Amino acid sequence: MAQQRSGAEKKALSIKYWLYGVFVFLILAWISMPSIIFIAGGMIPTFVAWVCDRSKEKYTTFCVGALNLSGVFPYLLSLWTENHSVQAVMDIFGDVFSLSVIYGSAGLGWALFLSLPPVVAAFINVMAQTRLKTLANEQKTLLEDWGPQVPGDAEKLNHKAQ
Amino acid sequence: MAESPLEVKEEFAPPVPEEEEGEDLEIPDDLIQESPPTSQQPPTGGGETILFRDRFLVNTGRPLPQFDSPSAKAYDVEDRRDLGYKLFGLVCSPGLSVRGDLIKLFQSEQIQGFLQLIDWGVIDWRHLGQKTMLVIYEQPLGGRVIDRLARKEVKITEYDITRRIIEPLTASLQRLNSFNKVHRNIRPRNIYFLDEEMDEVVFGECVTTPSGHDQPAVYEPLERSMCSPGGRGSGDQFDDVFALGVTLLYLTLGYNPVSKLKPEELIYQRIEHGTYATLCGGARIPLSLLEPFRGMMSDDRVERWGYSEIAKWLDGQTMTPIQKRPAVRAEVPFIFLKKEHFNTKTLTRDFTLSPLEAMKVIREEAFHIWIRRNLNMPELAERIIGLVQSVDHHKDGFQGTDDFLLLRTNMILNPSAPIYYKGMTFMPDGIGSLLASEWLSTGSLQVSSEILRNDICHLWFEAQQSPLPSTNTHKKVLEQLKGIMAIKDIGYGIERVFYELCPSLPCQSPLIAKQYVMEIEGVLPALEEASNHTDTSTKPIDRHVAAFIAAHFKQDIHPHLRAMASPKPETAIIGILSLLALLQWKLKVPSLLGISSWVGGLLGPAIETYHNRQTRRDIEKDIPKLVRQGSLPEIFELIDNAEKRQSDTDGYSEAVQKYADAQHEIDDIEGAGSERLTKAERSGQQAAATISIVITFMVITMLVIAEFW
Repeated sequence: MAQQRSGAEKKALSIKYWLYGVFVFLILAWISMPSIIFIAGGMIPTFVAWVCDRSKEKYTTFCVGALNLSGVFPYLLSLWTENHSVQAVMDIFGDVFSLSVIYGSAGLGWALFLSLPPVVAAFINVMAQTRLKTLANEQKTLLEDWGPQVPGDAEKLNHKAQ
Repeated sequence: MAESPLEVKEEFAPPVPEEEEGEDLEIPDDLIQESPPTSQQPPTGGGETILFRDRFLVNTGRPLPQFDSPSAKAYDVEDRRDLGYKLFGLVCSPGLSVRGDLIKLFQSEQIQGFLQLIDWGVIDWRHLGQKTMLVIYEQPLGGRVIDRLARKEVKITEYDITRRIIEPLTASLQRLNSFNKVHRNIRPRNIYFLDEEMDEVVFGECVTTPSGHDQPAVYEPLERSMCSPGGRGSGDQFDDVFALGVTLLYLTLGYNPVSKLKPEELIYQRIEHGTYATLCGGARIPLSLLEPFRGMMSDDRVERWGYSEIAKWLDGQTMTPIQKRPAVRAEVPFIFLKKEHFNTKTLTRDFTLSPLEAMKVIREEAFHIWIRRNLNMPELAERIIGLVQSVDHHKDGFQGTDDFLLLRTNMILNPSAPIYYKGMTFMPDGIGSLLASEWLSTGSLQVSSEILRNDICHLWFEAQQSPLPSTNTHKKVLEQLKGIMAIKDIGYGIERVFYELCPSLPCQSPLIAKQYVMEIEGVLPALEEASNHTDTSTKPIDRHVAAFIAAHFKQDIHPHLRAMASPKPETAIIGILSLLALLQWKLKVPSLLGISSWVGGLLGPAIETYHNRQTRRDIEKDIPKLVRQGSLPEIFELIDNAEKRQSDTDGYSEAVQKYADAQHEIDDIEGAGSERLTKAERSGQQAAATISIVITFMVITMLVIAEFW
């Protein structure tokens, strides 16, 4: 019963946030329609990444989104400082170079996201092997100094700790 | 080592014609013959001269038979400091315990009326191939009284005997009694003239055997005469008075009035008619001596004279004559093994001589009827019947045995008789020497331990109609010893009881038995000597050595004994080492190379108690150095240094903890598998996201700066 009530409350809260979001968006759209149109168009790869990323941490979204933003920001800055109009937005989207910068940076984000984890995993694996070797040497020294009954007593100690 | 108890007989000549009152006392030559012990032959010498304590020369080629004791041969001894001083040394039988307390008393106190004990100690008697006890005495220049009388070199009239013999001898015994000691070796052949003028009479030695051991049965009070020599007990002044009475009678008469009686017949007669009547009945006694003889030879311990009564008699006071109480006598005899018995006392004596037949008879109705009808003792009969029923009821255990039945029956029928159990006849105060004699004759302590375990002495005390003055002391001691015996650990058990009850008995350990170790100071030197020819893989302290040390060493050694009793070999050897080190330290014994080497070779398990390999190597390296110094305390300090041990323990705990931590980490790393890969991937993704965010920030920052700078 309590669970049902909690689910209903969460749903009500989510709707509430959506309504707030729509409200803020409408205000922003009324204040800065060109920026909103430009960001909406330029950040499509980020939206795609957000849809594809089912993980809780949303690393894909952050990785793609951040570099996508770095591709969008120079044009957004010129929009804000030179000609803040829908026409100017259309010009940017009409320029191939601009599009390749905006979506290329998002592609770089994807590339980074796909290439870095195997490298890190390999690095961590090497570190682990080195650590294992060190620990084995430590144990060997302990055995040489304190005798073969150490492992037995250590096992008892571990059992006791558990 | 196992030797059967000594039995000594004094052979006296047949009765001589009655002497007239006032006639001189003349002893025929053959009266003085005293047969040597039948089983425990005293040690004989090999002819060489032995130096003792760097002062006395014991000439083993010059025996002095005139000073022999039944269990100790006498040899000429020269004092190198005073060559004119005439001495003799008694070489004791190694198989018998000596009376150490008396030896020390006679050496420290010069008690008038006794041969002066000059020195004593252990001597290497090569002829026997072992060490034994030597006791050195000043020679009595007048020789044995009885020899002089026999050779008619002195005349003592019945008027003289009081002044020359009875008075000084009684005074001597009284002096000894003032030290709470008794002689228990009083007989005609053990009385000497101290001087050549034959003015002063003194008692001979009484230290070479247990109390009463060498005494012919006739010189022992009735109860003690029925005991085996080893079980006659320490006794008291009344036992000395009894022996003095019989001795005086023999000296007065000049012959043995009961020489024709066999020992068993003599006991039978003494039970039937009383000792006084048996010994004096057919003899002509001077009237003046009748009263003291009757008083001194009384079989009733309560009525027997003590020193005060003798003193009163010597002062001329008339004593109340002792009335002979008629013994309970049956009209119809009970026939046991074709022998007629008219009272329970002779019957119980025969029961002890034929125990198997006795066990059958005790169950027979005819026996119960004889007690009820012929002895007119229905209560006694009921007690016997009740006892038989009780024994039948207790099928298992001590109280269901025939030995218990015989033991209790004897106590019911004749409470004052000595205890008889499985072939041993003894008085409760003789339990110590009984243990010794059983050990020396059989090499085991089986029966003695049963006696202690089953509280047999306690049963005897309970059976007494008039308790002895020392009953409570004996009970207390026996109770404590029973507790000690119940502990089976090394240093306790029957061996400990053995040495507690026989403090003068040398240590019987096979390791040092031949060294005749009688005192705690002798243990380490004896072990040192033993280390030269003993298999050093055996431990230097066995059950006998441990019990001997526990009984003789005044320090508290319980922690050491506890360690020695441990089933762990390392703890046991550390216990042995610590005890030996304590002995060396407390007794200030110098270098002990042999024992150090012996113990050093056994320390393997103790060294292995250290976990740290380097510590072990260091100890192993240091031991040979300390062995060469012969210092057991230092070896112990090396092996069991508290600081070192604590450090080792702490270090080991730390090492175990480290090992466990490392293992835990290894298990974590190895056991992770796909989880680790996932984790690595996640880390990579996180790194990618972080990098891209950082790049973005940098780009935005640079653009903003470029735009607005």
